[in-house]
Amino acid sequence: MTNTSNKITDEQLIAEAIKGNKKALTEIVLRYEQTVYNFAFKICRDKDKAEHAMQETFLSMVKSLKQFSGKSKLSTWLYTIVSNHCLMLARSKKKYDYTVLENEDGLVNDKFISDWKFNPEKLSENQELKDILDNAIEKLPHDYKVVFLLRDVEGLSTKETSEIVNLSIPAIKSRLHRARAFLRNELNKTLHV
Amino acid sequence: MKKIETTCKLVMNHLCDNLGEDLDSPKCLDIKTHLESCPNCRSFFNTINSTVEFYKKYNVKLDDKGHKELLSILGLNEDDSNDDE
Repeated sequence: MTNTSNKITDEQLIAEAIKGNKKALTEIVLRYEQTVYNFAFKICRDKDKAEHAMQETFLSMVKSLKQFSGKSKLSTWLYTIVSNHCLMLARSKKKYDYTVLENEDGLVNDKFISDWKFNPEKLSENQELKDILDNAIEKLPHDYKVVFLLRDVEGLSTKETSEIVNLSIPAIKSRLHRARAFLRNELNKTLHV
Repeated sequence: MKKIETTCKLVMNHLCDNLGEDLDSPKCLDIKTHLESCPNCRSFFNTINSTVEFYKKYNVKLDDKGHKELLSILGLNEDDSNDDE
């Protein structure tokens, strides 16, 4: 998440918001609403659920703003809250249909190596490709999905990711490795030439 | 010390661990050399990279309705913003 204004820091805004300053609270929401919504969508793969998760995230933030210790960045705290809300939404689904990622050897193999018929630059104009991406990542267990999204897609460090999902650094590396390989193999089924 | 042979399998596992991170260690230099001569590993590396890039580029924008609804739920008003610019 990026700070869009360099005039006032997040810490200053939080201090003001805690005192009841609505302008400060509004500014926090305006800074982070797009990032929170986009991240929620990347986990939920559904616009309505992403909007719901975003609303719940900011409601939680407002409710517990006084408890924000400032030890981590505001963005890290928001990623933690939105990840938890998305997990709750996922758990409310009647059945679990995640893939179990157990066999390390099966995830990384040198069979069927080929180039792909699409490249990332073509994504915006291709709904079929978006559907393929949605279907592949939907199969990942929640913690693998969140680790992949935080580390690779959002560009957070391994340490920040570890704080957000409450897993050790070796566990983050292992999940990231397996998530990348799983997604690559899933996409390869339809994108190979 | 016995030199471990750099196989495709080793390269692929290591690439998965280190994609996007510093690739200047002796082990990674071996891997770079292997990559230059192995089309299989190059393809694998490229498709792992593309996987990450696909998900990076797949973004959605919060529309005005969603934005206004959020502010309303929080009891806030756009005009309350601190940004005077």
